Amino acid sequence: MENVLEVKGLSKQYKKGVYASKNVTFDIKKGEIFALIGPNGAGKTTTIRMISTLLKATEGDAVVMGHSILTEPGKVRENITYLPDEAGAYKTMTGKKYLQFMASIYANDSAAAAEYVKTASEICGLGDRLDDKIGSYSRGMTRKLLLARAIMSKPALAILDEPTSGLDIINALDIRRMIKELASQGMSFLLSSHNMLEIEYVSDRVGIIAKGHLLETGTPSELLEKHGAANLEEVFERVVKNSEIL
Amino acid sequence: MKFFNLLKKELKEMLTIQTIATLIIIVAVLSLAGSALTDVIEDAVEEGSKITICDEDNTEFTQSLIKTLETVGGTENEVTKVTLESKDYAKELKRLDITNVVVFPKGFTEQVQKGEQANIEYVGSMTSLSTMSNVGFDSETATEIIKNAIEAQLYSEKIAAGKMTEAEVMQMDSPILVDETTVVADKSAKISSEILFSLCKMQGTFVPIIVFLLIMYSSQMLLNAVSTEKIDKTLETLLSAPVSRMSVLSAKMLSAAIVAAVMAVAFMFGMNNMTNSFTMGADASQFNEVLEELGLSLSAAQYLLVGLQMFASVLIGLSLSLVLGALAKDIKSAQALVMPILFTAMIPYILSIIIDIKTLSPVFKYIVYAIPFTHTFMASENVMFGNMSLYWGGFVYQIVILAISMTFAIKVFTSDKIFTMTLSFGEKGKKRKYKKA
Repeated sequence: MENVLEVKGLSKQYKKGVYASKNVTFDIKKGEIFALIGPNGAGKTTTIRMISTLLKATEGDAVVMGHSILTEPGKVRENITYLPDEAGAYKTMTGKKYLQFMASIYANDSAAAAEYVKTASEICGLGDRLDDKIGSYSRGMTRKLLLARAIMSKPALAILDEPTSGLDIINALDIRRMIKELASQGMSFLLSSHNMLEIEYVSDRVGIIAKGHLLETGTPSELLEKHGAANLEEVFERVVKNSEIL
Repeated sequence: MKFFNLLKKELKEMLTIQTIATLIIIVAVLSLAGSALTDVIEDAVEEGSKITICDEDNTEFTQSLIKTLETVGGTENEVTKVTLESKDYAKELKRLDITNVVVFPKGFTEQVQKGEQANIEYVGSMTSLSTMSNVGFDSETATEIIKNAIEAQLYSEKIAAGKMTEAEVMQMDSPILVDETTVVADKSAKISSEILFSLCKMQGTFVPIIVFLLIMYSSQMLLNAVSTEKIDKTLETLLSAPVSRMSVLSAKMLSAAIVAAVMAVAFMFGMNNMTNSFTMGADASQFNEVLEELGLSLSAAQYLLVGLQMFASVLIGLSLSLVLGALAKDIKSAQALVMPILFTAMIPYILSIIIDIKTLSPVFKYIVYAIPFTHTFMASENVMFGNMSLYWGGFVYQIVILAISMTFAIKVFTSDKIFTMTLSFGEKGKKRKYKKA
């Protein structure tokens, strides 16, 4: 199966000797859901931001659909969408205007843009509220709108940082099902979360990250079996405790 | 006790480090303006005691009058006699390196002796539209001093003769008629400098207001736009989309510049309407002709020159706001971060209205010139009064500052700094902190 993303020794050094992310290596195949799990400050967001071309890597590289984040960031952005954790939307725009604006950036023509808006409108399920200003939305509604925006263009790789944060259980379940369905259609996902139960349910493969180091990768069942754990939280605890790096 | 705790909490929130810094800067700005003003007033008082006379009549009476002028009014006046070689007053003032001259024309003594109102000429130059630039030896002062001197002469002569006719008593009330000429750059016209100053005062006051509002609004708009995008994380979404950072940056700056330009047009339109309503009662066309003759009515090309510097200032303000907006951590810090731009615009704004910046002491002058916005505040005056070397020098300086600030802004916007750089107010021990993503 072809790799949509190949991350090779990716590092981010803010000050001399201080790494937010160090020598991170993993790959994501077409239609695969890969999740980075770890506590706050583990380096998940830094790694994701480097892959999203927002931050420049100080060492290593990541290749998205054959394009390097270092030499072809523009091409990389054409193949990804990124949903930051706790992201907002333009409060003075209506939901529909926001989707139209974002679609105009991702689409190559107006027909494609209209199609993206139609898809996003269906995905977010906001109905008539799409005609209201985003400033009047609840946190959950805004998150659904943003998720819809992130997947409306069906990118090769959707990077979602804490995708269900702020959503109630029903909406969170809907989103998880949707991610799985889209992955089955060939879309790849890079997720980041500290909700290990969610990750266990939705991910094909998991990467455990702590203090900037990617400690272990594998499918949830492989990791559970290897560490003799009942769930990913236990796996995480054992991996971190046994790690020589930390 | 509860109330005291509430009061303490509110005061703590209001008296932040940025509020205190603002107060310190206001005091410093006002002190600077006051100090500069003191120098200008001292110079004006000194100038006021200098009288330059061209005695074309050259009679015993005029010579005695000039002697009287040296001590009239209870003060020692420095009287200098000059000879004008032509009626081209602009050229003559420049040649003699003087700012004004009182001319006793031929026949002056004869008029006085006949008991008529005697004509004198007052030629003064106008170099600025600022309020304090017209303090000094103006036509009113000249008239008053010469009137007093003539009265003193006439009294002594008539009283010595032992009688005064009714016509002579009337002559005492108004012994002279001043024929005024005002020189602006290399042009001159028969108009009082006071009337001219009143006519141009609108321009002298409102152009700086427009410039200040433009810089303030456009900077505030862009700073808010960038900081809000950063705080709401919409900037991350936008910059991870298939669009170049330069496009995002250019769109932001251009939109702020367009809104600023629309605002400038609206202000100018309003100002024009207001000025027209003020001059409707007067013989506007007559004054307009004089203003045009003196170059005090801006032509389309001159408006363009003023507009160029306005645009340069707005762009400098925008590039600085872009950097400052990137530093904002929250709405509160974003509001505080606009202060440096406001203050650097406020200093030349206040000074340009009150004094002619060119006349400041060298140290003050170059400090004020170092603020790039200063040149825009002086632009219309420089163009009107023909100080083109100062205009172009200022413009070149603005372009250099613009290039530096734009380079810095682009560097911040196209690097990690846009996400990692924050300036935290009130956090002990750290002024700038690099946030770990």
